[in-house]
Amino acid sequence: MDRLAHPDAMRPARPDRTRMAPPRLPARFPFSGRYRAYLLFGASGIPYLLVGLLLLHSIWALGDGPGAWMAVMLAFQQPLYIAFHVLALAAVVYTAVHFFWLFPKAQPPRIGPVRPPPRALIQPMLYAVWLGTTALMAAILAGWILP
Amino acid sequence: MKHLLLRLEPIIWLIFGQGIVIGTILLTGWIAIVGIAAPLGFVPADALAYPRAHALASHPIGRVLLAALIALPLWKGAHHIRSLSLDFGGLSRDANVATLLYGVAAVGSALAVIAVVRL
Repeated sequence: MDRLAHPDAMRPARPDRTRMAPPRLPARFPFSGRYRAYLLFGASGIPYLLVGLLLLHSIWALGDGPGAWMAVMLAFQQPLYIAFHVLALAAVVYTAVHFFWLFPKAQPPRIGPVRPPPRALIQPMLYAVWLGTTALMAAILAGWILP
Repeated sequence: MKHLLLRLEPIIWLIFGQGIVIGTILLTGWIAIVGIAAPLGFVPADALAYPRAHALASHPIGRVLLAALIALPLWKGAHHIRSLSLDFGGLSRDANVATLLYGVAAVGSALAVIAVVRL
């Protein structure tokens, strides 16, 4: 009588190492094609890390008292700090635009019983939250509301 | 260390993702006003004077937002710089690079909590 073959019937007694081609960087890496945008997204991490450390320094100074806080505010008026913050703002805006373009494409069709909103809605929702929060924070920090 | 990093990867990815979404959403207004508009004189001088800045920051909501504003970008930055290092052939040094970067992010996050608590 015929029997089904055992699934491991052909397995070698001692598995050999999987042979792989040596790793090679793609020809267009790093500055051509889609690698540029991909690497810019990664490089935006540098200003994020520096902004986080600068923010930590600022809030620590706020806890130290009026003198330390004023020293930070005066330092921020130096051209180097302003240039850094312009670069950091560019990195944050680039991250937002790149990620908000990517995020809807990465959504699974369903998460358990829940279906995510339609792709066409996700991006406008993200932009609305981002721009709304930015406007609110800017208005509070600039003293336009909550004087 | 490599084994530990692999085990921590889901947690790191979670904070990294929040760093991109929440960090970016919160950072834009802060950088635009505190880093650019105020130093250039586009904002009233008393808006960021010590009494007002301290009152805003020491409010419970202010403390939570500031802790997130400091910690999340640190994790986003650390993970992306690690990825960048790997992309440029840094597999052999990855354990050291990752330990250094995540160490900075972890210590920075702990200091962020202390910074907002002591306000």
